[in-house]
Amino acid sequence: MLVGRILVVGGGTAGWMAAAALAHKFAGTRLAITLVESAEIGTVGVGEATIPHIRHFNATLGIDEADFLAATKGTYKLGIEFVDWGRKGDSYIHPFAAFGDPLDGVPFHHQWLATEGAGAFEDYSLPIQAARRGRFRRPDGDPYNYAYQFDAGLYARYLRAYAEARGVVRREGKVVDVALDGESGFVRSVTLESGETLEAELFVDCSGFRGLLIEQALHTGYEEWTHWLPCDRAIAIPCANKGPLAPLTRAAAKQSGWCWRIPLQHRTGNGHVYSSGFTSDDEALEVLLAQLPAEPLADPNKLRFVTGKRKRQWVGNTVAIGLSSGFLEPLESTSIHLIQVAIGKLLDLFPTGDWDPLDAAEFNRAMALEYERVRDFLILHYHATQRDDSEFWRHCRNMVLPDSLAYKLQLFRERGVVVQYREGTFLEPSWLAVYLGQHVTPRHRDPRAGGEGVAAALATMRADIAAAAEAMPRHEAALGMGA
Amino acid sequence: MIRSIGIVGAGVAGWMAALALGRALPGASISVVETEGPDWSLGPFGPGETCLPGFEAWLADHGVEEGALLRAARGSFSLGTAFSGWAGQEADWFLPFGTIGAPIGTIAFHQLAARLRAGGQALRLADFSLAAIAAASGRFARPSPDPRSVLSSYGYGLDLDRAGLAETLRLASGLAPVGRFRRALGDAEITAVELQDGTQVTADLWLDCSGPTALLIGHLDSGWESWASWLPCNRAVETWAEVEGVPPPYAHAGAFEAGWQRTVPLIGGQSGALLYASAFLPEQPGAIPFVQGRRTRAWTVNVVALGAAAALVEPLHGYNLALLQNAITRLIGLLPAAPDGPEPAEYNRLAASEADRVRDFAILHYKTNGRTGEPLWDQARAAPVPETLAHKLDLYASRGRLPVYDEELFDPEEWIAVLDGQGVRPRRHDALADAIPEPQLRAHAARIREVIVDAVRRMPHHGATLREEGLLP
Repeated sequence: MLVGRILVVGGGTAGWMAAAALAHKFAGTRLAITLVESAEIGTVGVGEATIPHIRHFNATLGIDEADFLAATKGTYKLGIEFVDWGRKGDSYIHPFAAFGDPLDGVPFHHQWLATEGAGAFEDYSLPIQAARRGRFRRPDGDPYNYAYQFDAGLYARYLRAYAEARGVVRREGKVVDVALDGESGFVRSVTLESGETLEAELFVDCSGFRGLLIEQALHTGYEEWTHWLPCDRAIAIPCANKGPLAPLTRAAAKQSGWCWRIPLQHRTGNGHVYSSGFTSDDEALEVLLAQLPAEPLADPNKLRFVTGKRKRQWVGNTVAIGLSSGFLEPLESTSIHLIQVAIGKLLDLFPTGDWDPLDAAEFNRAMALEYERVRDFLILHYHATQRDDSEFWRHCRNMVLPDSLAYKLQLFRERGVVVQYREGTFLEPSWLAVYLGQHVTPRHRDPRAGGEGVAAALATMRADIAAAAEAMPRHEAALGMGA
Repeated sequence: MIRSIGIVGAGVAGWMAALALGRALPGASISVVETEGPDWSLGPFGPGETCLPGFEAWLADHGVEEGALLRAARGSFSLGTAFSGWAGQEADWFLPFGTIGAPIGTIAFHQLAARLRAGGQALRLADFSLAAIAAASGRFARPSPDPRSVLSSYGYGLDLDRAGLAETLRLASGLAPVGRFRRALGDAEITAVELQDGTQVTADLWLDCSGPTALLIGHLDSGWESWASWLPCNRAVETWAEVEGVPPPYAHAGAFEAGWQRTVPLIGGQSGALLYASAFLPEQPGAIPFVQGRRTRAWTVNVVALGAAAALVEPLHGYNLALLQNAITRLIGLLPAAPDGPEPAEYNRLAASEADRVRDFAILHYKTNGRTGEPLWDQARAAPVPETLAHKLDLYASRGRLPVYDEELFDPEEWIAVLDGQGVRPRRHDALADAIPEPQLRAHAARIREVIVDAVRRMPHHGATLREEGLLP
């Protein structure tokens, strides 16, 4: 037995992604999906940059790529460039692909480490070489993946049209009250400012940071991770495009945080994520403005957040998705991904009329794991640094790591082995990119590495990759924008 | 840096390790030391061994020609394991090497099947598996590499005589044993192994491939976690019977009152093992006692235990060879680069976790058994199981979902095949399956059956394939 009515509370990226996915999945059933949002309440529009999983989300919904890119002013993305993280003056790229090919059954990075004069690690990544040249081509059987950068507001609008065309009813209004069932503690209905009451069996809380249902009504509680990830504010500001369109998101480390730069077709998104414990809002704005590549197109938008996650993300008949479920800074473009994972798990565990508590327990277990594994990956960026030029970086270098990360880092530092998991978003190539990009060099190598002929094989690999990258069209041409 | 490796145990585990490490470390010297008695390096479970799909790829990677192995080891092909008497005294089911059914969109086949059952249609999941149908009709052909063909929907294992398998691996390694084991020297670590002729062998790293006796690691502080409270069988009787004719393309596990009988069919004979719980059957002639469980630290100081010396678990399916294969690969990836490095800790974390997942898979067969009125089986059904398995069973019973943990050897589909075969039915099915009109569902299921039955009809018999490949006169 399906639940009959779903109410999605909040219409930002999370809300419309959830509504669109539900509408697609339950097309042809009697399930009624309503989304309530208020034009008065702004949306945060989390993360305009994504990771490749978004392609799967769009493909499942049957969304045409060209149509989507046109509607969202989107660009292609081959990775994230990290500037000044390990040391000032550094630049490395985290691509969505493995580096090199294993030789003699030995992991590639060990062969690279063992070979004198093997060039840079990034010479062995086709997507990085393409990105460095401002080039892009959709992989055709090639072993790399790509994602998008797009206007999240336009994406929400695009999905709204998609969802409404499939029967989702949009209600305009501000939620002023939430009614709980006295016995079960389930949410029964929400009341709008107009006095109207909306009932449902399942509530999806996409109301953003405040967690209208999951926190304000259900008092679920929040697990803070600020001792590991001290940034707690952000300022965002768009500016005009300048120069070639990079198929890359850029994350540049600053004195007390980092600045993002996300090129779209029509503008560049910029922002500064920083820690209020180490710098003032005015200073942070100055830092952001000083590094803008072109003139701003709007006033700065200021945000506050607490890094962490809701203790439980599915409580009773309420499932929190998006910022209501937790917040991890967009350093690895995971915000939209975490929304997508939550939607996938909700569809997978879609409640039936009897509300077996196992469904919520499994959802919460899986989401907690997902959040924690992304969290560890983010902490690595801050901790694995040699920067000593500010209090902020000294704090990050010296902080006590979560055990799960300390173990991973030790194993790589000693032996160059990446701890692998079956569940989790970031796999071995991602960890390698950051470890090696931030100078975590293994003390010992695989004893099999560095055999005869390896140097020659590496030289061939490097040359092949450079040639393939050179042969790709420019990013603008790949987007059909003209150069 | 490892320059010399000593291996104790010249059976399947010892030679498989010797072959793989010899190829990974061409400069290292490898000394293989023989031990007394039969090859129990994968456990005392009969003179035949069976493996999971994927072993053929390992062989190819290590320069072992499959045909040569099959000829040397009375080998034949396997499409899975037939289980009889587990779901109930009279009930049979089949665990195939391959997919079962086909999803509609993102809705898994077993969810569709549950919906059909709710609508009153009786069905068995295995009837929608090409491997199971081919096995039942005694047919075998190698799978097709074309992903569009239904003939790509399965894999195959090999049923092999373990002596022939060990000898083939030895030949590929190009090595011969250096002598026979007398004793291990050293307290906190193994300093040397003394041979029968009095000479001493030293090595930078020792591999204990001596089976349950654990001649090396048993001396060290390596710990042992017993699984006896979950897996009651603790005696085995190995048998061999000469048999004429074409072997069936599957192994067999037949439960009886006090345990179960394993049969691995080979060319010209059948390998058998009677596994039972000593509390429920008078001691049988030739019974070999064993305790199921795993080493707490399979890698302790300078000794790595492989095979049954590391984890001993009854061979319900061909996982023991797969565990060995994974252990060797894991060891090669973590070969110590310097003294006191982090490699053993990581190795042990992964090895323990993988062994525990296989343990859960084995316990599953007992926990969900349907034999009533027999103390062993009644107790097994009532006994508590490890928390990891309990969580899986709860989720499956609730709505046919299976969480996947790190280091799982088996995919959810294989777990589902066992659960379904044992007669475990989820209370509810995926709500989305309700969105599909029943006639469409029925047509979907019927179409799968039709494609499979048609493909199997055109498949050669196992005997014809064996003859074609020169394996059967």
